[in-house]
Amino acid sequence: MKFDTRTLILMAAAVVINIIGGQIAHFLKLPLYLDSIGTILVAILAGPLAGGITGLVTNLVWGLILNPVAAAFAPVALVIGVVAGLLARAGWFRTWWQATISGAIVAVPSTIVAVPIIVYMFGGVTGGGPDFAAAYLLAVGQSLVQSVAFSNLGINIADKAVTALIAWIVASRLPLRLTSNFGFFEHSRV
Amino acid sequence: MASGSKQEAGKQSLLFTPGESLLHKANPLTSLVIMLWMISAAAVLPTAGTAILVLAAITVSMATGVGKRSVKRLLITMTPIGVALIVVHGLLIERPDQTDLGLVAISPDGLDYALKVFMRVAAMLMATLLFVTTTHPSEMLKALDQRGVPPGVGYLVASPLLLIEPFSDRAKAIRDAQRVRGLDLTGSWKARIIALPILLMPLITLALSDLDQRASILSGRAFRAFPRRTVINAPHDSTFQVWFRRILVAVAVLQLGIPLLWHF
Repeated sequence: MKFDTRTLILMAAAVVINIIGGQIAHFLKLPLYLDSIGTILVAILAGPLAGGITGLVTNLVWGLILNPVAAAFAPVALVIGVVAGLLARAGWFRTWWQATISGAIVAVPSTIVAVPIIVYMFGGVTGGGPDFAAAYLLAVGQSLVQSVAFSNLGINIADKAVTALIAWIVASRLPLRLTSNFGFFEHSRV
Repeated sequence: MASGSKQEAGKQSLLFTPGESLLHKANPLTSLVIMLWMISAAAVLPTAGTAILVLAAITVSMATGVGKRSVKRLLITMTPIGVALIVVHGLLIERPDQTDLGLVAISPDGLDYALKVFMRVAAMLMATLLFVTTTHPSEMLKALDQRGVPPGVGYLVASPLLLIEPFSDRAKAIRDAQRVRGLDLTGSWKARIIALPILLMPLITLALSDLDQRASILSGRAFRAFPRRTVINAPHDSTFQVWFRRILVAVAVLQLGIPLLWHF
């Protein structure tokens, strides 16, 4: 599928939004990633394929210039964009509460894809905040896969709900002259 | 002059470090294939093999003048991972060989596994770091263009690479300006959550503000009129490098494939 020029430019800007969002979450020492705002925004405006590719490119570019570990999670970013786009097509980004619930739903498949990468490639750790929760769950008798899954799911639900809400706020405030070019956005209009 | 120094500053915040080594001069696709071969080797080698791979990569990085940056990044990334691996596999996961040391019980098998994973991730990370510290992204894009990558794909990768530096600088400028105005970025949860939209929204608005204009400019230049772009100053390539790449790809596939065949 060939994207039109406007969609391509939106996707490139979204990659930057993703990386800057992640950097700001890091500045503020928030226990959230906020590195998928652009991906979900593209998914709302241009659909699942554009959203998925935006996520994939974000992690590959991030890996190329700043943090090579990010590239390992490129499939997770792809899934976030695709699932958000499918939810948008189903009309689940029309209101703020639908967007928040959609974000929480996106967290489930993204965690399912992330867990094997974390467990089999990184031995169940990432060197980040979820490791503390995973360590606690291990200490109380859960298996490694369960501990990684539950700790990441908890953080992912909060992160993706906030991310999807921010993406919805941005999309709903964009000027009509801009959004009128994205036919897919009709699925998210009230 | 100002833009020149800005460009230099931008280059410094990438992991790329300028140099004159063989890896710097190699075609970016050759460096990319070396990285992929190292990653595939790290996936199948035992702990001793991945440790040798890490040491070899560090030695090469020192010889190419990117050692300081690579090793610093390796330590920053691997230290928390190493600590977490020791805690999780050495102390927390119950294994039959656990030895009780009073306050904690240590598993030698768990520590072995932690070391195996640590060395594997470190080898993969060093492979990636060798590539990103010696290959400028723009050279990689030129090499891809030369190989016939469609202009749309080139734009999607190249445009963020060019925009990230000014946007990172802008994010820092907004953060500093807001701190001067009294915004609390290090205080309570509530204060930091309040600060989030104040820092984030201007940057998102800025990134999206001139979409129309950029689309018009690109369309005006007919940037997708032809399926392939012509690269005027394409990175140097040679028959030797082409064959070297082919052999490395074949070795990478074999070293991943043979253990799989053996397994089944």
